[in-house]
Amino acid sequence: MNHLSSETFRENARAALADTQLRGALKNATSLFGERRKSAAASLPNWEDLRSQARAIKDDVLSHLDRYLEKFVSEAEARGAKIHWARDAAEANAIICKLTAERQARIVVKSKSMTTEETHLNDALEAAGLQVVETDLGEYIIQLADEPPSHIIAPAIHKTRGQIAELFTAELGMPPTDDVAKLTNTARITLRDRFAAADVGISGVNFAIAETGTIVMVENEGNIRLTTSLPRLHIAVMGIEKVIPRFADLDVFLKLLPRSGTGQRLTTYQSFITGTKRRATDEGPEELHILLLDNGRSRMLAHPVTRQSLACIRCGACLNACPVYQQVGGHAYGSVYPGPIGAVITPQLMGIEKTAQLPYASSLCGACREVCPVKIDIPRLLLHLRGEISERKGSAAERVAFKLWSRLMMSPRLYKLSSVAGRLLQRIVPIAPAWTKGRDLRPIEARSFHDLWPIK
Amino acid sequence: MKVALFVTCLVDQMWTSIGVSSVEVLRRVGCEVEFDQRQTCCAQPAYNTGYLNEARPVAQRFISIFEESNADAIVSPSGSCTAMVRHYPQLFAGDSEWLPRAQAIAAKTHELSSFLVRVLKIEDVGASWKGKVTWHDACHGLRDLNVKHEPRTLIRHVRGAEFVEMDHADTCCGFGGTFSVKYPEISVAILDQKIDAIERAGVQAVVSGDASCLMQIGGRLSRKGSKVRVMHLAELLSHR
Amino acid sequence: MNNDARQSILTSIRTHLAASAPYDKLEHPDNHENPVILSNIPLESSLIDQFKLNLESVDGHCIITTDVTDALNKIITDLNAQRIAISDNPDVERWLYATDLHIEELGIAPNAKDIFRFDVGISTAQAAIAETGTLVLDSAHERHRLLSLVPPVHIAIVDASRIYATLGETLSRLQSGNELSPAITFITGPSRTADIELTLTIGVHGPQELYVIIKKPT
Repeated sequence: MNHLSSETFRENARAALADTQLRGALKNATSLFGERRKSAAASLPNWEDLRSQARAIKDDVLSHLDRYLEKFVSEAEARGAKIHWARDAAEANAIICKLTAERQARIVVKSKSMTTEETHLNDALEAAGLQVVETDLGEYIIQLADEPPSHIIAPAIHKTRGQIAELFTAELGMPPTDDVAKLTNTARITLRDRFAAADVGISGVNFAIAETGTIVMVENEGNIRLTTSLPRLHIAVMGIEKVIPRFADLDVFLKLLPRSGTGQRLTTYQSFITGTKRRATDEGPEELHILLLDNGRSRMLAHPVTRQSLACIRCGACLNACPVYQQVGGHAYGSVYPGPIGAVITPQLMGIEKTAQLPYASSLCGACREVCPVKIDIPRLLLHLRGEISERKGSAAERVAFKLWSRLMMSPRLYKLSSVAGRLLQRIVPIAPAWTKGRDLRPIEARSFHDLWPIK
Repeated sequence: MKVALFVTCLVDQMWTSIGVSSVEVLRRVGCEVEFDQRQTCCAQPAYNTGYLNEARPVAQRFISIFEESNADAIVSPSGSCTAMVRHYPQLFAGDSEWLPRAQAIAAKTHELSSFLVRVLKIEDVGASWKGKVTWHDACHGLRDLNVKHEPRTLIRHVRGAEFVEMDHADTCCGFGGTFSVKYPEISVAILDQKIDAIERAGVQAVVSGDASCLMQIGGRLSRKGSKVRVMHLAELLSHR
Repeated sequence: MNNDARQSILTSIRTHLAASAPYDKLEHPDNHENPVILSNIPLESSLIDQFKLNLESVDGHCIITTDVTDALNKIITDLNAQRIAISDNPDVERWLYATDLHIEELGIAPNAKDIFRFDVGISTAQAAIAETGTLVLDSAHERHRLLSLVPPVHIAIVDASRIYATLGETLSRLQSGNELSPAITFITGPSRTADIELTLTIGVHGPQELYVIIKKPT
């Protein structure tokens, strides 16, 4: 799979801007998502209260994450679930590969899990000789196309129906059609027998309830239900931040997540799974394994500004609201998590070495903060990360420039001289070619406001 | 009412008529305006680019200068610069000396339209301007200061002006400070959405409360040969 | 269970939380003023009516009746369904039997190997939520997990007295007293997706049609 890298964000973005099909698809998707979210939020009179409540619940969980995790684990284990802890992606993949090997599994069906995208689980399973089938329609499409997801909840949103049709014709031998219902039906038929044949079902987790040991998954298609009820073994993969305290808290989160994500009151299905079946003859998997993944999350707890990153419920609303994402789409970020939330968690999960551009790829407009159901202050996080990056990895030239800037601003005399210099320079040197390529630039005023004062 | 003008370095250097108009409007509604010549910048460029240590002394200087004033309010024709001053307490969190000083200055600093409508309770400043205008919500003013209906109210009272609400008035223009030159292509792509909306609105002028947005929008409009002009709210309001 | 990883992760959590403590003290919550959103107050109407309205708004079919057999008769005849899977709730068999329909194959809670053959799955629902048009299927009470999922049509019968007003109330009732069952499913309409250009398509992996028969007392 050719993943773009975050290191080349600038170039990735440029290429995306030149891709008219992509930009058309993005405009369509982000504006529809945005309108639907807005209507859905407006239909709840207490929307703002819900956001505050959700954030308060998350703050409580994150401040006591160890205790809530231990409680979740003990409740889940008491009801038959087996728990695994993974410090990083490699450990997570190794645990899952071992589980599948021990049971001589050959076919794995997967429902959408961003956490498993993060660990590149599919590559590991395939390397171990398993057939991995993504069953969420969007994930299925990108699996056929051998691409990473471009959106947190709608992985194939960067593709037009024409592109998807071509893909299905090429990979599945389907007669060419633009009809979305026919394309969907083809996926349904093709995937049915995979569900029936699968030995293992791997899902994500939207919420893990500490009080009851329950895992909760939300969806529209039904593939999560199939993945978690047909195969003998169900493995549920979750980041450690997914835990919430009480079953009753779901009233808050189930109101916020579907509305923020797709503008729905509720998605078609919610599955509440608490341990394994009680009688052997009951329907459902024989085994439930839950994998708790750290992979850099615990580090984010070390500062209140970064800790809020973990409040994210993966709704994707910030992506749709972001003017940068709207223009360049998800692939340009070169990360499993794109958009505003991606720009803040990718550097924290992966380290800033290769991801340093991402926190700067923002105009700090704050549209993301406005739509976030759990009120994550992404602009503040971006500034925090910019501070860290400029400290640890900043360009020496830029640091010198800002030190100079600081000296100028501290002294009215130097400040005045600098504008004199600027006025002269602008005639000789194109001060800002990056600006003037697309926009005219006003000349520096011949007399500053300081010069004009006092004003009659 | 005595007002200390915080003119902002951008207006000071690049768009003095905004400063002049602001003074004109404030005086017209009965304020005495003082201008401390020692002022330079609020430190936003350094703060937003992650250079907090370089930003702090500049912010301290701002605080020290404006503390000396006995004006009732500090007023600025910039939403983003006002928002920056409102963020000063974050810059000095845990600093027992500077935090209260930062909080005091932050509490006294107002963006122009917000000052007129919320503090002075004035909606009609006696302005007139003939033509169709639309308003662009500058991001910091809108989202950090909740300035939304105030400029629209003020514009609606301008005699002869017909206010048109454009699509996506509250979407970013793509400036974002250094973002506009670090990622110019993305900045212009975002900007073009704004330009399209302005053109669809069929107006003679687009008005905003931030010189930075006006430079961004104006720079593209003129590059495209558009007849639409950009105006700062203060410029519109000072028109008779 | 891998104890090393467990210990390491828990320790990492505790260490980093401790490191955060001095900064936590300094946090002044930012007063970002939130816009006030006005909204419609829902009309006063019966729970049944609300449920029907909300279910139909997501393309579910709702039949309110005192005669379940009659409703089943109509639906199955219209569908021309021949292979029917029913849950192990004896009421379902009784209602279906009373229809006198000719059915080619009847399966009682068929297993994973067999379930794909069937055209229709019929179950009860243990509760319903009026404000969202949602069915609550509780696996501890009935064997219905696969037949409410795999066949292209799902018919669910719910007693009118089991329709609760809100999500919150329903969650609370699920929890009160007993252990949560191993699998509880909320169903709101037929399966759907908008993964292709955000165009809504009904009927993906789950059922393409959902019929809910609300049984009123005679």
